Amino acid sequence: MSLSDGYGRPMTAALACDGLVKTFGAVRALDRVTVSVAAPATGLLGANGAGKSTLMKVALGLLTPDEGEVRVLGLTDRTQIRARVGYMPEHSCLPTDMSAQDLCIHLARLRGLPRRDALRRASEVLFAVGLEEERHRLIDTYSLGMRQRAKLAQALVHGPDLVVLDEPTSGLDPAGRTEMLEILRHLSRDLGIQVLLSSHVLEDIERTCDEVVVLASGRVSAQQAVSARVSTGPVTLQVTGDAAAFAGLLQEHGITAQLVAGRILLPSAGPRELAAVRDLAASSGTGLSSMVDAANALEDAVVGAMA
Amino acid sequence: MTAEAHLYDIRYSRYDGAREARWRSVLAMARSSTGRALGLRRTAGSKVWPFLLIAAAHLPAIATVGVPLLFDGAPEPLELMPYSQLLAVLTPIVVAFAATTLPSLLTRERRDRVLSLYFSTAMSPWEYLAGKVLAALALMSLVTLSPLLVLLIGSILTSEAPLDALRDDGRHVLAVILAGLVCALWFAALGLTAGAMTSKRLFAIGGLLAVLLVTPVLSGLVSSLTDQPSVRAADLSQVPLRATTDLLPGRGYDDEGSGKPAQALVWSVWGAVLLAATTVLVLRYRDPDAS
Repeated sequence: MSLSDGYGRPMTAALACDGLVKTFGAVRALDRVTVSVAAPATGLLGANGAGKSTLMKVALGLLTPDEGEVRVLGLTDRTQIRARVGYMPEHSCLPTDMSAQDLCIHLARLRGLPRRDALRRASEVLFAVGLEEERHRLIDTYSLGMRQRAKLAQALVHGPDLVVLDEPTSGLDPAGRTEMLEILRHLSRDLGIQVLLSSHVLEDIERTCDEVVVLASGRVSAQQAVSARVSTGPVTLQVTGDAAAFAGLLQEHGITAQLVAGRILLPSAGPRELAAVRDLAASSGTGLSSMVDAANALEDAVVGAMA
Repeated sequence: MTAEAHLYDIRYSRYDGAREARWRSVLAMARSSTGRALGLRRTAGSKVWPFLLIAAAHLPAIATVGVPLLFDGAPEPLELMPYSQLLAVLTPIVVAFAATTLPSLLTRERRDRVLSLYFSTAMSPWEYLAGKVLAALALMSLVTLSPLLVLLIGSILTSEAPLDALRDDGRHVLAVILAGLVCALWFAALGLTAGAMTSKRLFAIGGLLAVLLVTPVLSGLVSSLTDQPSVRAADLSQVPLRATTDLLPGRGYDDEGSGKPAQALVWSVWGAVLLAATTVLVLRYRDPDAS
């Protein structure tokens, strides 16, 4: 199946690395990294120091690899890559004496947009990230969440095909993080922009990406899809009242249930089993104090890959 | 007849429009940098100092041009204040302007770590440097070339026979422009070099002022002790002044002094410093991860 963007255009590999090596003194930050990233949104996951930011900087031409080759959107020419890529660094990178509006216009002009288009695009993109009311304020007066949005806006202002985001939710409060993740999902799902984001938070990637690449000690240790998983168990139940009696009730209705340390373990718990648990709890007057998914396939895989 | 109505969708959309040539981006960088250095689109307070110095740089030329208008029988403006003398009068203002505006062209973006944005998705380090050099030249021209042009144009307009004056003095236009640019380029090179060495504006200003204020004292002292006028060529605040003195019409700088360094030596210093400044800038910015 060939991938296409939100506008039906064929999607090329956002990033293709072949045997990338990058060392800093004695530290081998990237160790023969070979990977191809073509999903609409891909997450780079890894612990601090795993090589995520280094891989992004090599892809953007900010660092020169010691060995290997990297292609971005199928291109190796830096001028062409610059025109088609947006970048949101993790660190603070905004000129504090400019407004978000001026910054977006300035960067759009530097990326080759005519003045009239730069003005229009700046308004559009600031509206898209929710900064339209604050766009004339100096960045120096922005909160951290607003600065993150301004960073995202400048990355989008020239209409890139690929946007590279380094820890986009870093430092945000829960509400700001949720809003940022929604914007990021909107980019790849509705606007057809390929997204490559790094994070050390699996949940961020689960909520925004279609694929995850796990880096550990400068190597790619796993690459797999983030699919909309239907839970099939196992599930652990904690009930008020007699747990053994409720486990027996479940068994009577054909649901395999084991009593383990005062809790009920359902080795298989698809939608049918879960509905039966709900109905039987209601009919027997048993309270369900917790029902926990005891397995997360992606998390297990990632933890295994990062170990 | 009904008026046409248009609906505009202001939601984010993909951009498939034209892209301008790269030199337009370099100009955009130069324009933006010049505006920020002058405090444009910033608070009123940030405009005060640069515009005060620009006004101060034009006062001598304006006053010189105004004298013949106020007093009958007063000498012509260019007799009162030849171009080289004007440059000499302007030197303290030019030094103050260069020290306070030029280093921040580079230090501010290093401090704010904006370079990673520029070099990853906007422009190459060479395009960035070209924009900054143009901005520095434009800024310095405001306090070197512009006053010279005010004096030239003013002396023509206020003469008793402007058309004759245009014919006589008009032939000096190229020399005046060249002299103004030589001065602007000199201070631009020194200011940008100071700015490239550090991300702290105060350190850059201090370094530049140290070079421009200490070298006159040292070179003058050594020149007096050794009786060697050539040592004065090491006075970095006066190099452009001495270099352009033969370019400009009228009485030249140092003409009445006891001795002056040879023009060839002065131009050699000018060229060597510009080469050194270019080397520093290239070495400092050749690594795209300069942020």
